[in-house]
Amino acid sequence: MWRVALALLTLGWSVTGVAQTQTVEQKAAACAACHGEKGVPVDKAFPVIWGQHQGYLFLQLRDFKAGARKNDFMQAVVAELSRDDMMALAEYFSKKPWPDLRQKSATDAEAAVANRVNVSIGCTGCHLGQYQGDATVPRLAGQQHDYLLKSMRDFRSRARANNPGMTDLMKATAEADFEPEANFLAGH
Amino acid sequence: MRMLGRVAVSMTAATIGFSIISAAVAADETKPATLYGDMSSVTQDMLNRAGHDGNDFLLTNGNYWQQRFYPNRQINRDNVAGLRPAWIFQTDVTESMETSPLVVNGVMYVTTSFDHVYALNARTGEELWHYQQKLGPITTYCCGPNNRGVALYGDNVYLATLDAKLVALDAKTGKVKWETQIANPEEGYSETMAPTAVDGKILIGTNGGEYGIRGFVKAYDAKDGHLIWTFYTIPEKNEGVWAAQDATGRDMHRDIAAEKANLAKAGDLYKRLGGGVWQNPSVDLATRRIYFVVGNPSPDLDGAARPGDNLYTDSLVSVDLDTGKYVCHYQYIAHDVWDLDAVSPTVLAEAKDADGKIVPVVMEAGKTGHVYVNNRKDCSLIRFSEAMVPQEDMWSLPSAKGTRMLPGANGGVEWSPMATNPFLGLAYAINLHQPMTYTVTSAPYPNGKLWLGGAFAVIPTEAQWGNITAVDYNTGKIRWQVKTPQPMIGGVLATAGGLVFTGEGNGRFAAYDSATGSRLWQFMAGAGVNAPPSSYTVDGKQYIVVAAGGNVQLNYRRGNAIIAFSLAE
Repeated sequence: MWRVALALLTLGWSVTGVAQTQTVEQKAAACAACHGEKGVPVDKAFPVIWGQHQGYLFLQLRDFKAGARKNDFMQAVVAELSRDDMMALAEYFSKKPWPDLRQKSATDAEAAVANRVNVSIGCTGCHLGQYQGDATVPRLAGQQHDYLLKSMRDFRSRARANNPGMTDLMKATAEADFEPEANFLAGH
Repeated sequence: MRMLGRVAVSMTAATIGFSIISAAVAADETKPATLYGDMSSVTQDMLNRAGHDGNDFLLTNGNYWQQRFYPNRQINRDNVAGLRPAWIFQTDVTESMETSPLVVNGVMYVTTSFDHVYALNARTGEELWHYQQKLGPITTYCCGPNNRGVALYGDNVYLATLDAKLVALDAKTGKVKWETQIANPEEGYSETMAPTAVDGKILIGTNGGEYGIRGFVKAYDAKDGHLIWTFYTIPEKNEGVWAAQDATGRDMHRDIAAEKANLAKAGDLYKRLGGGVWQNPSVDLATRRIYFVVGNPSPDLDGAARPGDNLYTDSLVSVDLDTGKYVCHYQYIAHDVWDLDAVSPTVLAEAKDADGKIVPVVMEAGKTGHVYVNNRKDCSLIRFSEAMVPQEDMWSLPSAKGTRMLPGANGGVEWSPMATNPFLGLAYAINLHQPMTYTVTSAPYPNGKLWLGGAFAVIPTEAQWGNITAVDYNTGKIRWQVKTPQPMIGGVLATAGGLVFTGEGNGRFAAYDSATGSRLWQFMAGAGVNAPPSSYTVDGKQYIVVAAGGNVQLNYRRGNAIIAFSLAE
């Protein structure tokens, strides 16, 4: 985490406040320290936010600020953001192109597991065909493998508690299926 | 993803005898009228007589009684084998299609996922105009970005949107006349149903039972969109009579003593108890009452958070058309913890009561797999049909490890509208058989997020299938059943030609003998046919029309087509 904090300091963005005069581009520039200059996150545990859906990004920022989603760093980052700031940032990143992370495609066996999970709990009922998401439902296809895996585990353990529906669905899924599922989605 | 490339196909059209019209042809233009149709106003008188109109298809489910019985018999048992595509229109959106095509005076109105509306020349499939709702950044919806169609009234077309707006479009041009916000999508409200137009009002319910909303039916002024009345499906006092049994008399294994003990601690339950209304109400013009069904309580599977019967969830409800005041209700399942709620639209009929006397009734096909027949006068239950799908271990309670119980949480009958044949006294319902486990967990209200209180998971190793079932609504007996290889979702149309039309997830669209269930004709559409068919007649020729766009919820193959069929010359 120190690397990230250092990067933010060099960008001149104190995590305790955001200058009201900054444009959305200036505010967004600070996000690049973790989420990447070209949308490729600097750490495999960080999510892609370029090209992610506006409604979803907004709700995550909203939930970080409200404490419904826990992450010390992100909570500090959003502490001073207004609702309009968060919506503007969400819109800004939603219009960026989704980066190609060059993650490998799933094996047939992994894809079979993902298909079985989908039959069981209906992932594409919300994340839609090809796992592209829409509005407040995130795109999963091509997301960072490690972030996907951590998200599934965190939903299951309630470490991420801002979507109890996802917690329920992950609890209804065998933990052994998470790794092949993450491989499938990352390479999709 | 959702805006797949448009495909203009013309070369083969003449050789194969029907035309494929690309949405690209006139996407940027509007035409005021067709050569023949003048898009004349849809009057209340036309709507009142819609069930006897052998030309148009004016209401989502055919008429205010929602019988889905089309009175033209030009296409019938004897000639249906000659039915073939007349035209195919490809929309711009390749995603789940649930639209009920409406037709007035030779002009057809259809919708797609993500709230596009098209006006088409019903003779040829040519596009007259295309409207795309610019959705806000926040939409919160369960089970796909669907839209089930528009309402027609006067010179307007009415659309309800995923971001919970009601929009009035000019029927001639597709331009917006007005729009109004129905509810806040950030709190879990969304719209996928078609509105109902009646006597200057536009009636609309809401989705959101998976997100902790307070459900409603609202009436808006058709002219300017101002709110006339709101009926909340969740009354402030909602504990009810502490019913121990469901409508069929089966024990639901409630711990009523514990529920009563928890009631005082539950707080203002009504603000987030769910109770969506997914489908159009039926309208009884004689008594000026409407009848609709209310969906599941929130959270779906965790009853601990919501002691009491959770009125009026899982219920038939009647309210006054002019005032929105409560008239009567009947709850099929009190304190539902399986999401086996009521979503298929109500149908009015005249049928025998328990004494054999013909009375006005209202019917509903439940996710339980029963067709319920209730007395319109006081909403009381007259009978329920034989189970249309296997029921096992009802009502076993959801558990932390998961409890197997049938039917699965999609039904029985999902949102799919039934059709009826009043001359045969039959109601036609399409069913799912999906073995599932029911799991319960507890979590606090998540501020408009998905709030299931557990999970219903399909058991991947068990076979799934569907069926088409004809129920004698005077007796509750099953007259015939046709098993299908996949669970059924979409809808049914019956015609005076002795036919029943419905489609399957594998793309099969078929006609059945309405008296026997014999399959008389089929067409493979290439994508799931999971939408209710309509019929209409122009220039003396009857057509059957249906959308083939697949289905999100059951992950059936997606498409983007509206397909109209007529008899070979």
